[in-house]
Amino acid sequence: MASETKAVQSEILREMWFPVVPENILRKRHSLKRELLAQPNLMPARFAILGGSTTTEVKSMLELFLLAHGIQPTFYESGYNRYSEDILFENPNLMNFKPDVVFIHTTWQNVSQFPELAETEEEVEQRVRREAARFESLWEKIHSKLGALIIQNNFDLPRLRPLGNLETFESSGRVNFLMRLNAEFASYARKHSSFLINDILYLSAQVGLSAWHGNTYWYNFHMAVSPAATVTLAQNVAAIVKSVYGRSKKCLVLDLDNTLWGGVVGDDGVQNLILGRDHPVGEAFLDFQRYVKELHRRGVILAICSKNDIENAKEGFSHPDSILKLDDFGAFKANWNPKPANIREIAAELNIGLDSLVFVDDNPAERALVADQLPDVATPDVGSDVTRFAEILEAEHFFEVHKVVRDDLNRSAYYNSNAQRSSYQAGFSDYGEFLVSLEMTAEIAPFSSVYLERITQLINKTNQFNLTTKRYTSAEVENIAQDPMFITLYGRLADRFGDNGLVTVLIGRAVNETLELDLWLMSCRVLNREMELAMFDELVEHCQARGIRKIVGVYIPSKKNSMVADHYHKLGFIAGEGSSETCQSWHYDVPKSQPAKAHHISRKPNSAGAIVDGAFSADFRTEPADREALGKGPGCLMYR
Amino acid sequence: MPENRETMTREEFLLEMDEILGLRAGTLRGDEKLDELQNWDSTSLITLIVLAETANDAQISPDQVVGCSTVADLLRLAGVSGNSS
Repeated sequence: MASETKAVQSEILREMWFPVVPENILRKRHSLKRELLAQPNLMPARFAILGGSTTTEVKSMLELFLLAHGIQPTFYESGYNRYSEDILFENPNLMNFKPDVVFIHTTWQNVSQFPELAETEEEVEQRVRREAARFESLWEKIHSKLGALIIQNNFDLPRLRPLGNLETFESSGRVNFLMRLNAEFASYARKHSSFLINDILYLSAQVGLSAWHGNTYWYNFHMAVSPAATVTLAQNVAAIVKSVYGRSKKCLVLDLDNTLWGGVVGDDGVQNLILGRDHPVGEAFLDFQRYVKELHRRGVILAICSKNDIENAKEGFSHPDSILKLDDFGAFKANWNPKPANIREIAAELNIGLDSLVFVDDNPAERALVADQLPDVATPDVGSDVTRFAEILEAEHFFEVHKVVRDDLNRSAYYNSNAQRSSYQAGFSDYGEFLVSLEMTAEIAPFSSVYLERITQLINKTNQFNLTTKRYTSAEVENIAQDPMFITLYGRLADRFGDNGLVTVLIGRAVNETLELDLWLMSCRVLNREMELAMFDELVEHCQARGIRKIVGVYIPSKKNSMVADHYHKLGFIAGEGSSETCQSWHYDVPKSQPAKAHHISRKPNSAGAIVDGAFSADFRTEPADREALGKGPGCLMYR
Repeated sequence: MPENRETMTREEFLLEMDEILGLRAGTLRGDEKLDELQNWDSTSLITLIVLAETANDAQISPDQVVGCSTVADLLRLAGVSGNSS
């Protein structure tokens, strides 16, 4: 009975995934909400929707799609078309609400004045700047008064074109004007990490302008976006939020035969695979491979899970037209074992959770098996038509990113070198010898603006080695970094096989002579490498320098962080009083001097040497600088 | 709403309304006042219009739906005012 109930639940929730039928979402919103609210471990978040038009349906749909990503929103909604007044006049209801995210739902109808036909190019340019400045003043005020992440619609296009095709290039044309405003918005987004754009120019093109606007709803209800298109809009905003909160997927697991190429490599041979420009279907497989390669280039890890002999499977990538190459894959499982077992091994090898995986296979039976046995793995119904695979992956927003983080670009390389480390480790009988041979070097320092995005990303996506699982927006991280009350540390780790990048983060709040650790987390890709010991050594030195005599470590158990239940005990902390099942407190008396606990990670101070608390705040007032700038200022210890 | 309005029965319409309002199937009888239904809100109203539009039913306009005060009014508007069988 219980499994039947679960089956009914998942059947209803399938409405939220591809292919989403907006009418069904509207029709079933109450039952969907009920089922979504029944999910475990929902993460609370506070959303302010500031609308230039009616936003009731936007809120209703956004709630569903956020819940579908495990985020439970509480909403503040501005009055109709009061998006700017609420900010400029500091509506106390909004100020007291303290949103984590402010979504500004404006559309082309909210442009204050379009250019007159007789205006000169210079006058139009001034008008573009004035209009952009009007919005910028809102964003700046949100930033200074609320410190919230901003998601701002860019502009869609009107349905009607009084100037016809001139609209697009005549400077007084509305289309031309809106495109220039969109460029201004984009420019602002590039310079401000807490400001993201919801691209309704694209969404409206995807839906079609007639369906997007829906005159009926504008004239009757002042909805700038039709109800059906509002579903698409909400899905897109929720995908951005999901990405900010670190809930995007990390790894694409692919089948081979009839997924990456046409035909069966073991039967047909490499030379007969359908792949390449000389065949219509072959060209479609080529384009899918190109799409997958693009995902890989921006940090999505690739893995193979195929029923094949390993030699045949690998041979397939020697096809002269294959865009994907063997070294693109962080894990490669080709055997005759059931796919769920192989996928479990892939997740274990890559040190990531099953809920970070997306599985693509043309075979419906394999998809059904994985969906049934590994419900945490996303298994989209991609069908068997290769021309649709990429489109379906896109529609689900699995790999949505809100910033291109440099560490992400190298992420696949880290995982690939992890495989090299594993086979290298097999040659050592003594783990200590293995660690020595890795020649590890660490860089541990207070938060730097250069790493703001990576730090925020790590905070919001790390579940296993995470003592408190607290989540922070980039604006909050920025504020903490500038607040002298906090001690913050990030850690990077490199070894003979490559640079693991920024892998660990710690935040402590100092009150008098006590430091309470609000956050301590580490990427699982550097487990058992003593990186947590190196972080602790660094933390103790910071405490000694600031006269802090006691460190309080907090452990909040979650479904996924049992691996760190003994973390503080192992470091020599003593269990505190008042601990409960939901929150444990550990105490550590800071000694005047303490030998380093990390024995296999080399460290030496940079040329500046000394730690200067609070010095990082100056760094945060600047725009992200070149990575080379790191380590040159005070307050940064370089471990080399 | 079903694709073909002509084949829609009173029961089907009431079940559709149950779903839109998040009620257990079979809850609505037809004599309820809309204002007294807990989940009757602007989104329910708009959903009805969207579904009517999807079913190519040009007969139902937003004005008409806004003008309804009971479920029976909606049934009449949808042309399924016959008695329950």
